[in-house]
Amino acid sequence: MIARAVAGAAMLSVALLCLCASPVKAAMAEQTGALPRGGTYVLDPDPTVGSAAIGLWFRAPGAGYDNATPGIANLAATAAAVAPLASGRSLFALVHSAGGDLNIEVYPDIVGIGAIVPASAARRVVAAMTAAYFAPAVDEAAVKTARANAAVLGVQQRYEPDTTLHDLLFKQIFTSGPAHYPPLPTAVSALTSISAAQVSAFAKRAFRSENAVLTLTGNVDASSITAVTDGSGQGSMDAPFDSTLTQPAQSATASGEVDGVGLAWVGPPISDEKAATALDFVADYLFRDQTGVVSKGLDLAQSDALVFGQFITLHDPGVMVVTIGGSHEKGTEKRVLEALSALQQPMDAQTFNAAREAFLYHVAADTQTPQQRADNLGWYSVEGNLDYAPGGGNGSYEQAARALDPQYVASVVRRYLSNPVVVDLIANIPQKE
Amino acid sequence: MSRVLLLSVAAFVASLFPRAAAAAVAVPVPIVESAGATTIVRQPDAAASLAGFAFVVRAGLDRQTLKQSGLAALVAETIVRTPVALPFDSAQGRLAQGDTTMLPLEDAIAAHGGSIRFTVDPGDVRFYVEALAADAPAVLDLFRAAIAAPDFSPATVRDARAELVRQIAVNQQEALQVGLDMLNAASSAQANAGLPELGTPASLAQFFSEDARSFYRAYYRRGGSIISAAGRLDALAPGALDMLASALPEGTTVPVAVHVPVLNGMTHEIVAHRDISSPWLIAQYPAPKVDSNDFGPMLVLAAFVRRTLSDIAQVPGVVSPTFASRSVGAVYAYDRAPARLVLYVNGGLNGNPSRAFATALSVVNVLAATRLQGSIEEFKAEAAGDFANDATTLETRAWLAAVFARESASPDFINRALAAIAATTPDDVQRVARTYLGNPTIALVLPRGTNLQD
Repeated sequence: MIARAVAGAAMLSVALLCLCASPVKAAMAEQTGALPRGGTYVLDPDPTVGSAAIGLWFRAPGAGYDNATPGIANLAATAAAVAPLASGRSLFALVHSAGGDLNIEVYPDIVGIGAIVPASAARRVVAAMTAAYFAPAVDEAAVKTARANAAVLGVQQRYEPDTTLHDLLFKQIFTSGPAHYPPLPTAVSALTSISAAQVSAFAKRAFRSENAVLTLTGNVDASSITAVTDGSGQGSMDAPFDSTLTQPAQSATASGEVDGVGLAWVGPPISDEKAATALDFVADYLFRDQTGVVSKGLDLAQSDALVFGQFITLHDPGVMVVTIGGSHEKGTEKRVLEALSALQQPMDAQTFNAAREAFLYHVAADTQTPQQRADNLGWYSVEGNLDYAPGGGNGSYEQAARALDPQYVASVVRRYLSNPVVVDLIANIPQKE
Repeated sequence: MSRVLLLSVAAFVASLFPRAAAAAVAVPVPIVESAGATTIVRQPDAAASLAGFAFVVRAGLDRQTLKQSGLAALVAETIVRTPVALPFDSAQGRLAQGDTTMLPLEDAIAAHGGSIRFTVDPGDVRFYVEALAADAPAVLDLFRAAIAAPDFSPATVRDARAELVRQIAVNQQEALQVGLDMLNAASSAQANAGLPELGTPASLAQFFSEDARSFYRAYYRRGGSIISAAGRLDALAPGALDMLASALPEGTTVPVAVHVPVLNGMTHEIVAHRDISSPWLIAQYPAPKVDSNDFGPMLVLAAFVRRTLSDIAQVPGVVSPTFASRSVGAVYAYDRAPARLVLYVNGGLNGNPSRAFATALSVVNVLAATRLQGSIEEFKAEAAGDFANDATTLETRAWLAAVFARESASPDFINRALAAIAATTPDDVQRVARTYLGNPTIALVLPRGTNLQD
C-alpha cells in the first residue's frame, strides 16, 4: 500500500503488511528536532501503551556505493547489531534481554533498524542503538555472523514468491542503481565475496549520525533523546539513492523454487502526493486482504491464489507491484488486469465514497501501534517527505486522500497502470499439474 | 536428555545477564463504571486515530445445547449481516445524495470508515467495532440498531450460514486451529463450552430463522455484559456507551448445563487428519486465571517455554527470525475460560518436529521437578516485553481491559501484569510448573494419508 518495499530484509517485519498511515489524529502531533551529535529525530509519544518503538533509519545503497557488492548493506546492518558494544553486549543481545525484538530492514535505497521494547527499557535501547550504528565496531566475528544470517535468510527467500518476484520486477524496471539489485542476494558466494573490511567501511560511511533519522513512538518522551551520546556531528544526510529506469522495460521469465507471476508499473515520486495517494487507494480497493475487490473475488471463488498488491512510495519514482502465488496464476493475472482496466473509467460516486472511507480507515488501522508508527515516520523521512507520512500530525496524507475523486483516480490509473512489466516465475521442479 | 535441553535448563538456572533495574513506567488505569447490569470500561487515548469498542455478551458456546453447535455463531453472524440504512453525512459529503441503500451492517460500517467482527468464546460472544474517530458515533449507532433488532429473515440467516460454512472450510485447513478445537473439546468442564466456535456445516444446516431468533431472545441480555472502549473516546457524545448498553433488554442468563462423563483413558493424545501439507503437534496444559497468584509466574514460565522452543528450533548462529524459529511457539491464553498454556510445533517448517516437541515436553517436566537456582530476570524481562508489546492495538487493549475487569478487581491489565511479573521468584516458577504442567493433552494434526508412525 503506502510505503514499504517487500524487499529482502535481514529480519522480516510484521510491519511489511501494515504500511500506511493515519488521519484524524488528535492534537498530539509528532515533534522533530536535531540529535545532539548530528542527525534528526521524530518523536510521536503515546503514554497510554506499555511499550516503546525505537527506529533508526538511514539512506544507504543496498549494493554498495559503487553498486558492485549486492548485500553489503544487509551485512553491515546486521554486523553492527551483533558487534559487542562498550558494555560487552551487542545491541541485539541488549534488546532481547530487555524483553524486546529487533528488526533489521534493508531495502535498495534505505536501511531501517527497529526495536519494540517495554517502555522502561526505551532509554537504554536508544543509547545502545545509536552507539551501535553511529560508532560501528564491525569486526570479523560480527561479519561472520551477519554472513551466516544472510545466507539462511537468502535460502528462505527462494521459497517466498512475493519477495523473489519483487526483486525480479525491480531488476527489470531499473537498468542501474541500487534498485536493480536484490538487497539480499540468494547466492552464498555473493555474500562471502564481501570482506569484513568492506563491510566495516560501508557501515562507517552509511551509518553516520548525520545520515540518520531516529524515530521514537509509544510510551517514550523527549528525555530519551539525551541518551544519544555518539555521533560525528558534522555534515548532512546523503542525497536519495535513486535508480535509473529501463527504457522500455521488458517482461521476463525466470526460474526458481516456486511458481508465481509479478506485475509492476512505474509510478509517481513521493513528492507527487496526490498521485501517490491515488495509487495507494487503488491498491487498497483492489488488493487489500479480505476486503479488496480482487481479493474478495478470489475468496468467493474458493481459489487458493494469493494476490498481494501495493504502491511502494519511493523518492523517485514509486512502483506499483502486484504479486500472484498459489494456483491458476495466469487466470488470476487476467482478473487483476481486468480490474485495473475497469478503474480506467471513473467509479460511481457511491462506490467510490464508500471505498475512500474504507481506505481512510484501513490506513488508520494499519498505523495504530508504536512499531507501525515508528516504521512509517522513518520510511517517509528518509524517502524525503516526512510531512506526507500517513498518520503525521499535520494530516497531509488524510487531506490528500479526502481530496481524491473518481475522475482523478481514473486518470491516474490511465496514466500509470496501463502496461505492466510482467515476470513469470517458474519452479524448477513443477509444483502442480 | 538432549544437548539442547541441557543448555536450555542451564540457561534458565544460571544467572545470565544481571541487569540494572529499569524504572517502571506507569500507564493510565482504565476507568470502570456501571450502567445498570452492564460494566463499561474506558481507555481514552488522545494519540489514537480510531475508537474501538468491545461488546461482550453472555451468549457464547455454553448457552448452546449439544445439538445447537454453531447457533451462537449463527446469531452473531446474523447481526453482522443485518441490513441497516447507510447513513448520509451531508457535512462531509461522503456518501451520495439521496442514498437510501440498505446494506448489511458489516458493509455499512466499512463504507462509513470502520470494521466489525466477532468471536464466540466458551461463555461469551464478543463483538469488536472500530472506526475513525469522526465516524465512531455513526458507526456505533449502526451497531446499536442491528444488535437491538437483528434481521432473522430467512435470507439473512441463510447468508449468515453460508459465510460461516465458508469460514469453517478455511479454518479446517489451519492445523493449529483444528488442534485447538480438539483440545478445547477434550478439556472443557462443560461439554457445550468445548464445541467448535462456528459449529459445523452439518449442525448449521439444521437451524432455521426461528432457532436463531429464540437463541437471541433468550441470551442477548444486559446482565453480565461488558462494553470496553479504547482510543478517541472524546469523539463520542456523553452517554453513547450507555445507549449501546441499553440496546439489549434487562435480564441475566445462565449456561445450559451439559454434563458428559469424563473419559478415563490411559492416553491423552488426540489425532486428526486434514487437508494440510505437514503435521502439527500441539500440547495443552491447564493454566491460572488473571486473578490468581500464579498469573505472573505463569507469564514468566510461558516466556521461558517460548524461548526454549525457539532455541531448539532455530538455526545455530542465526539472529533473525527464520522459518524454523517461527515453526514453534507457546501461548498462555489467560483470556480464555478455562485458561490454558499451549505449545505447538509446525512440522512443515521444522526439520524434526518430533524431536523438537519431545524436547520441549521434557524441559517442562524437568522444570517441575528441579529446584531452580539463580536469576530469572532474563525471562521476566521477556515476559514483560511479550505482554506489553502484544497489548498495543486498540482491539487488544479493549479486550484485555474487559477480561481483567471481569476476572479480577481491576481492569488495569498492563500495570498489574507487569507488577505480577516483577514480583515473581524462582520458587514461584517452580511451584507453577509443578502445579500446572504435569499432564498435557496432546493433539496431532496430520496430513491425510499419513499415520502416527510416519
